[in-house]
Amino acid sequence: MAELDPALDYPLAARRPELLRTPTGKRIEDITMQAVLDGEVGPEDLRIAPETLRLQAEIADGSGRRQLGENFARAAELTRVPDQTVLEIYNALRPWASTKQRLLEIAEQLDREYTAPGCAELVREAAEVYERRDILAG
Amino acid sequence: MRHSKRTEILEAKPVNLDGFVEEWPEVGMVAMDSPYDPEPGIRVEQGTVVEMDGKPRAEFDFIDQFIADHAIDADIAPEAMAHSAEHIAHLLIDATVSRRAVLGVVRGLTPAKLLAVVKTMNVVEMMMALQKMRARRTPSNQAHSTSARDNPVQIAADAAEAALRGFRELETTLGVVRYAPLAAIALQVGAQAARPGVLTQCALEEATELELGMRGITGYAETISVYGTEPVFCDGDDTPWSKAFLASAYASRGIKMRFTSGTGSEVQMGNAEGKSMLYLEIRCILVTKGAGVQGLQNGSISCIGVPGAVPAGIRAVLAENLIASTVDLECASGNDQSFSHSDMRRTARLLPQLLPGTDFVCSGYSGVPNYDNMFAGSNLDPEDYDDWNTIQRDLQVDGALRHVPEERILAARAHAARALQAVFAHLELPPVTDKEIEAVTYAHGSQELPLRDVLEDLKAAQSVLDRGITGLDIVKGLEAGGFTEVAESLLTVLRQRISGDLLHTSAILTPEMETLSAVNDANDYAGPGTGYRPSGQRWEEMKRLRHVVSASNPEEEVS
Repeated sequence: MAELDPALDYPLAARRPELLRTPTGKRIEDITMQAVLDGEVGPEDLRIAPETLRLQAEIADGSGRRQLGENFARAAELTRVPDQTVLEIYNALRPWASTKQRLLEIAEQLDREYTAPGCAELVREAAEVYERRDILAG
Repeated sequence: MRHSKRTEILEAKPVNLDGFVEEWPEVGMVAMDSPYDPEPGIRVEQGTVVEMDGKPRAEFDFIDQFIADHAIDADIAPEAMAHSAEHIAHLLIDATVSRRAVLGVVRGLTPAKLLAVVKTMNVVEMMMALQKMRARRTPSNQAHSTSARDNPVQIAADAAEAALRGFRELETTLGVVRYAPLAAIALQVGAQAARPGVLTQCALEEATELELGMRGITGYAETISVYGTEPVFCDGDDTPWSKAFLASAYASRGIKMRFTSGTGSEVQMGNAEGKSMLYLEIRCILVTKGAGVQGLQNGSISCIGVPGAVPAGIRAVLAENLIASTVDLECASGNDQSFSHSDMRRTARLLPQLLPGTDFVCSGYSGVPNYDNMFAGSNLDPEDYDDWNTIQRDLQVDGALRHVPEERILAARAHAARALQAVFAHLELPPVTDKEIEAVTYAHGSQELPLRDVLEDLKAAQSVLDRGITGLDIVKGLEAGGFTEVAESLLTVLRQRISGDLLHTSAILTPEMETLSAVNDANDYAGPGTGYRPSGQRWEEMKRLRHVVSASNPEEEVS
């Protein structure tokens, strides 16, 4: 992976466009009006790729923003998770919405199905805290 | 008893319509100095915070635990906490101490310590500190564009005017929530029609707001609320973990977002646990930091009446903006919801953010008349545009707005409404008529606009969701209607998601479509002669007002 320097490489779209691809493998300069009108660009082309989020996490770390970088790392994992599943997991994390078992199953799914260990860790941590603070379902 | 004439005059002053109340610390009706606020302290064992602000880890509520484990840098905390509050306050106002050096200490501080630091500071010192600590060098501003009738034509025209006047973010919300897709489309089209690169959002319940964002109908999100006590957080149907997950969800779709909090929300929701409003708000700020969110909208926001009613409440509101900036978050600094009947008082409430500059001086300057403002009004209204521009010019302080000649404003309003007409036609939504376009060009508010068929609009709004319409469909509609430049602007905004550059702290797009954030436009204030000062072309722009006369010929207006 490229070693990024926030002072030299950010914004990536202007300074390092060669590093960027859509999740469908297109370059930013491929997303033109003509391509949109020709039906060659779909909503899936206007998403961020996990690799790009990891590059931005490097920029965040390099700017002294550790937590922002961790958020981008979790986000990179979530690019693989469908919209509907993302919303379901969010709703499951609300207070009194889930049993501990359910939260641990979600964590397991994030780990196994989506290779999302950072997100799984967040959900496992929630399961422990929710138990201690008595905000699990049932 | 008999009153004097002077008393009668004072009684009739607008300020006496405002509500004021004594402090009542037991229920949290105290701005920043409650006898029940904890004493600062920390104990770290093997890299884990085991005691914070006098509470052992086993007794941590979920906010304490989230802050201890995610926000505070446990490695440096004992050293940072060893400094006196006065010493840290000195670091904040000392122009020779760099912002970066301050961040190195602050990341080890607990909520009670941050409170102790700002308690040593008066408002002038806080403004000096804010000038140095805000994340982005160039200040910016945000406006509301809403309609009492949820009229999308009005939302588009007022978005266009606000964009032209200088706002770089626009926010809408609804009277009738089901109108949301049409309002969000109107806001997006109106904004891009007037000045490229304005980012737009629609304030809704969390899950719906995310859905509109994912579809590319909105450009960023802000109404992700966090609270300072566990019961109130749960009443909001969230936890720090659900909100942190939501933050990652937005980033995973390349969408900028910030959290929202503010002093007074816990009292208003009836569970402040006897703590001061500012202590609880500091907990919100650190939850935001710990979640890895780039920024926060704070400054009491929709609860401004609560701190506004108690002694030193507006000082506390400035302190919360300062602390958000001091922990390196983007700060959209309030000055939004209506706060006072007194023009003097609402100006005094504004200056502490306007003078030092913040990332967004208002997180909702009302671009529509008060009766149309669906966020319950704002501290600033369209009737104040000329006053704002004059204050900028008088003090040479950049509040990010400018005077625009009427013919340009009328042209932008009409252009936006016509662009919306084209998009609605393309998407087979209820038509925008020429009569509506004519009316909205010259209107001040929704009362001057023809009524729309609400039932048809609501059916259409649902169909936008059912048919899976996205930002790309809006682009195609604009292009099909001959609004090529507007279509290009919107496509460029949507394309930002691919790079994620806007996900960084305090990011905005300039009208030239360049990303400006705390990474490439970091605040470099280091005392007199440094940092952002309006100059050159921007200062020339700020000199123009509605009526300025020629120096050589006082009969001639030059603006």
